[in-house]
Amino acid sequence: MQFKAKKQLYLNTSMGLICLLVSSGAMLLLLAIVFFIARESWPVWSAMGPAQLIGGLDWNPLAKPPLLGLGAMICSTLWTALGAILLAAPIGLCSAIFLAEFAPAWLAAIIRPVLNVLTGIPSVVYGFLGAAVLVKYFEISWHMASGESLFCASLVLTVMVLPYIVAASESALRAVPSEYRQAALALGVSRSYAVLKVLLPLTARGLLGALILAFGRAAGETMAVLMLAGNILLFPTSWFSKGEPLSALIALELGTSATGSLHYHALFAAGLVLLAFVMGVNLFINILMHYKGKRGT
Amino acid sequence: MVRNNKLLAVFLVVLSLFLLAGCGQNESKATDQTGDTASQMQSIKLGGSSTLAPVVAQCADSFTEEYKTWNKVDPQLPEEPIVIFVSTGGSGFGVKAALDDTVDIGMVSREIKDEEKEKMPEGKIFKLGSDALTMAVHPRNEVMQVKPDLTTDEIKSIFAGEIKTWKELDVKLLGNSIVLAIRDLGGGASQVFDEFIMKGTPVAKEAIQLPSMGALAGKVMENQNAIGYVSFGLVKQNEGQLGVLKVDGVTPTLETISSGEYKIARPLLLITKDAPNTKEQLFIDYLLSDEGLKVVEEMGFVPAAN
Repeated sequence: MQFKAKKQLYLNTSMGLICLLVSSGAMLLLLAIVFFIARESWPVWSAMGPAQLIGGLDWNPLAKPPLLGLGAMICSTLWTALGAILLAAPIGLCSAIFLAEFAPAWLAAIIRPVLNVLTGIPSVVYGFLGAAVLVKYFEISWHMASGESLFCASLVLTVMVLPYIVAASESALRAVPSEYRQAALALGVSRSYAVLKVLLPLTARGLLGALILAFGRAAGETMAVLMLAGNILLFPTSWFSKGEPLSALIALELGTSATGSLHYHALFAAGLVLLAFVMGVNLFINILMHYKGKRGT
Repeated sequence: MVRNNKLLAVFLVVLSLFLLAGCGQNESKATDQTGDTASQMQSIKLGGSSTLAPVVAQCADSFTEEYKTWNKVDPQLPEEPIVIFVSTGGSGFGVKAALDDTVDIGMVSREIKDEEKEKMPEGKIFKLGSDALTMAVHPRNEVMQVKPDLTTDEIKSIFAGEIKTWKELDVKLLGNSIVLAIRDLGGGASQVFDEFIMKGTPVAKEAIQLPSMGALAGKVMENQNAIGYVSFGLVKQNEGQLGVLKVDGVTPTLETISSGEYKIARPLLLITKDAPNTKEQLFIDYLLSDEGLKVVEEMGFVPAAN
């Protein structure tokens, strides 16, 4: 008996140790990536200064001296990613509510796998479809000289991030104990009232987390955006102008930049900005989660 | 008891994974030297310019087909299968990868800069041929009938964004905006275009940057308002789908490009960081032989004088 307990104890501690090892390994990997990108981009930060690099609007790496302002790219990234979230959030949240609360089991069993298939489509295929269908449509119907735009990229990103929003929101909704639903319905409110006034406030942070996950996904997406955003160096003044998001900039120019040049370091700086962006937003959300919500009870 | 066993099983699996990973690392460290040389012995890696890659890939195929093993190329070499990898990533990548030994031979479709040459004092540069940049438009664009001959200055004004619509170029044309299609600014083609046409004037910021020559040609083929500098080789490969304008009265043809009459041309180069080893030299010789240069010509480029 005692021996068994000892063995159990031994097993438990070793299990814990292994989990700790694995998770700290993942942590270290992330830190190593951040460290490497920071190190590779350091020369340009020190040479140009962060304000000029992030705030500068002119990008011409071959000029003498090179102009390396990432402002227009940062703005393009915001337009495409936030635009995609703006479009995907209502659709995604409504789908999640429908799947979690209203859909009959057989229908949910059809919709869920279909949505999951969307995550499996390679982004090149999305980009190709967008270039073949959307770009042509904008050229013909809107009489644009050339159909690429940030909006075009946002539309495709919307479809790409939708499954993430739906899956994460649905699991957040399902995590609410059923007592709340029963209590609400027992008080005689309608189903929709129970969802809107009881469940949504309870899961608000989970839903926000879903949107953040999607935002990170949208900001980092490269191939489809590269094919659809238009990649021009002008500062995007509207959602319908063309632009060059950070990820597209890196994909376009890293192959052709000379190693060790300021241009090369500036591309790493662009990567760092993108990384800081997504991580910063994640951090912000985590802090929000910690402060017990400003939920009016 | 059963749960204990399950836990134990999970634990063992995880532990063995760790041990294996450890083994793998130690093993790879131990065999690093030999493994590396073995793979180098067995394969030649080329990488770089997306313009040059199809030519080299086709030559690599026929070279491998023809000889199969190295001893058939040169009786002194051991009987090993010939393996040649060709990857793309742009001219800059070609130089970079050759310098840091990611590839054995870099493919570059622009002149090698002096600072790059400094980093490869032992290196060799082989010229495979040259490629011209043509001023290409959509074949149904009326500019082909109305004004098929542009001067260097007109092209410069178009790409600098001073001439914004086709009508401004010639009153007989439509008032549509001109869509400029260019390669990313760091690319070999951009640098050649800057050297011969723009001469330091920045290209308009409205220009759409495309990630490869193929994509650029595709953009011009499908957009009626587009103009772009498409590689001569690609024009040949897509016969009839692109309209080519004269530049200063000169039509780009094999003759005008090799005679230097058509100005906007760039070299197609192979570079190595150190003197190439026997096998690399044999493959480079094959590329520079009549058979290799025939492929260069078939792909629409101008072969180097043998």
